[in-house]
Amino acid sequence: MSTVMIVAPIVIANWGAISAAVAAGVAAAGFTATAHTAAVAGQARSESRGAGISREEIEVPDSEILEGTVGTGEQVVAERDGIRAIFTRDVRGGLKVCVEGAGITAQELRRVGEELIGRVTQQYVYHRLVSELEARHVSIIHEEVTADQAVKIRVRSW
Amino acid sequence: MASEEIEIEIGADGQVKVRTKGIKGEACKEYAAALARIIGRIESSEPTSELYETPNEVRRVIDIRQSH
Repeated sequence: MSTVMIVAPIVIANWGAISAAVAAGVAAAGFTATAHTAAVAGQARSESRGAGISREEIEVPDSEILEGTVGTGEQVVAERDGIRAIFTRDVRGGLKVCVEGAGITAQELRRVGEELIGRVTQQYVYHRLVSELEARHVSIIHEEVTADQAVKIRVRSW
Repeated sequence: MASEEIEIEIGADGQVKVRTKGIKGEACKEYAAALARIIGRIESSEPTSELYETPNEVRRVIDIRQSH
């Protein structure tokens, strides 16, 4: 018996914290991530043009990258099996991901993009929670990753 | 007395469940809400029968068991 609360995460942090969560999240989904500067990113994008590339853009809901913490065009690029995902700050100041690949349906690209957003959010929440618990001197008594890749953390009441 | 714990489950889809165990009365909700607020916005809260038990009732049960 218990009280159960369902919580919708809010991702709000500087680019450093968010890009770290992106790198960890995409790695958990089997992608290889590399941080790129604006110039390299432009190159990466131009390489993908004109070869039957499909592209989907998805905004991460309830996200905000704090102003002044991200340079122009800063992004994280990740790749897996011919699919490239590019995480950047969008015009509203939130996090967005562009997913692209040759010969891949828009539906599949969207599915992959949403999977990545879930993993990135999971990583962000985990690190935010652990750092807040440490700051409040609350000890984690058990931690596990379940078969469906959920992370469970147990703490004693304080 | 059962240990008072809070379990946080962070799904691969980013959704979070905060569940209290062994915490009686309104403190149950307060602990869960305190943790939930760190993470984001509470979308739903499901009270269970444990929420309505008071610490006194719990102590009485323990006392009865110990007297045997």
